[in-house]
Amino acid sequence: MQIQEIDGFMAKCEAKGVERDVSLFMLQHEPVDLGDFVVVHVGYAIQKITQAEAQSAWEIYDEMLAAEAEMEMELAPPDHA
Amino acid sequence: MNHSAQDWLGLIRQLPLAGRRVRIMNVCGGHERSITLAGIRSALPAEIELIPGPGCPVCVCPEEDIYQAIQLALREPVILVTYGDMLRVPVNAPKGEVRSLEQARAAGGEVRPIASPLEAAQIARDNPATPVVFFAAGFETTIAPTAALAVQGLPENLSLLLSGRLTWPAVAMLLNAEAPGFDALVAPGHVATVMGPEEWGFVVEEHAIPAAVAGFSPGSLLAATYSVLRQHLEGRRFLDNCYPEVVRPGGNPDARAALEQAMRVTDANWRGIGIIPQSGFALREAYAAHDARTLFPDHNAADRRRMGEMPPGCDCARVVLGKRYPNQCRLFGNRCTPRNPIGPCMVSDEGACRIWWAGGMRESVASERTGAPARE
Repeated sequence: MQIQEIDGFMAKCEAKGVERDVSLFMLQHEPVDLGDFVVVHVGYAIQKITQAEAQSAWEIYDEMLAAEAEMEMELAPPDHA
Repeated sequence: MNHSAQDWLGLIRQLPLAGRRVRIMNVCGGHERSITLAGIRSALPAEIELIPGPGCPVCVCPEEDIYQAIQLALREPVILVTYGDMLRVPVNAPKGEVRSLEQARAAGGEVRPIASPLEAAQIARDNPATPVVFFAAGFETTIAPTAALAVQGLPENLSLLLSGRLTWPAVAMLLNAEAPGFDALVAPGHVATVMGPEEWGFVVEEHAIPAAVAGFSPGSLLAATYSVLRQHLEGRRFLDNCYPEVVRPGGNPDARAALEQAMRVTDANWRGIGIIPQSGFALREAYAAHDARTLFPDHNAADRRRMGEMPPGCDCARVVLGKRYPNQCRLFGNRCTPRNPIGPCMVSDEGACRIWWAGGMRESVASERTGAPARE
């Protein structure tokens, strides 16, 4: 996710239009700035990464989400099916 | 290392496997998800087996802890918060009794799914007069943020029912057994991001098993697969890092410091498996005022039937240990599906059964009467 705002240890981060509050508490050992990309796990940034790495991660997540959406469709078929 | 997944596949296919079976275990639900959904298994030479191992913390969360969380939600005036994939994990309760947190919520318990420890703290701050219990299962990557929250200061009314586990001791247990069941290890990328890749050095040094840390893209997973295969074939073993852009030497120092400050490592029970030495996180004494295990009575009656076990007929424990593939469980895909899960491996997003089901494998290869042609 990309850092949009920083307020103390909290940041607003965005990825593909989705915004999240993210804690930077576990990145105190690294300088983080607006525009930086981070790996986020359960609301906490666990590592700073480059834009290219973030891009590649998004592509994977997209594929996963698509595969999962397919599964959810099968789990809960629409009424007319 | 700018090879694409296709490049790595090409390199793997050129390896002189010549009928030599190589079993590679992964210990991360995220890895298994990528492997399955990207169809990596079917793209690899037939000699290579990719085995999902202990990579799902919800799957091994003690049945007693889930039962306790359910009872807290039903009997105590609390708000019980937990990660969403814990809600539908069944406990062993008689028919007609509440068997999951989801059912506890339907029965009037105040159970709320959350996606982050930050939400647990916010719910506690929004409800200052109500005790909030955060039932937190997870491996190192998930427990470190919980530790960070504790170090930063927990709201007075927030307590933790902690079921955190460490990944490597489960692998150590397998390797110390007579037949570990695998020849090489792909080590978990995000656990290594937090704890450092060095944690996995023992696999190579003490057991002469090739190991490589991988990320979650097919490219990174195939790079790690190639690395361990080459190590295996050449007899030159080392701990490789195929996720260097995220996994750095020493891991994340702030995460490790938070874990060290808030938690101690203790022997811990894994559902259906038993006690694994030094494999669990527990809150340190300084946080006792926030430890739900001491704040509330234990609602597990000593004589509760099937306490701590996997559900009857369920092979989850053997699936978690890589001794059986998900579809070798006779319940898989027929009596146990994501819609009506029997075992935790079919509930959690990180459970191998659920992942295989999502990947299109829907039928058990085990016969109802004779059981599975087990890997073990």
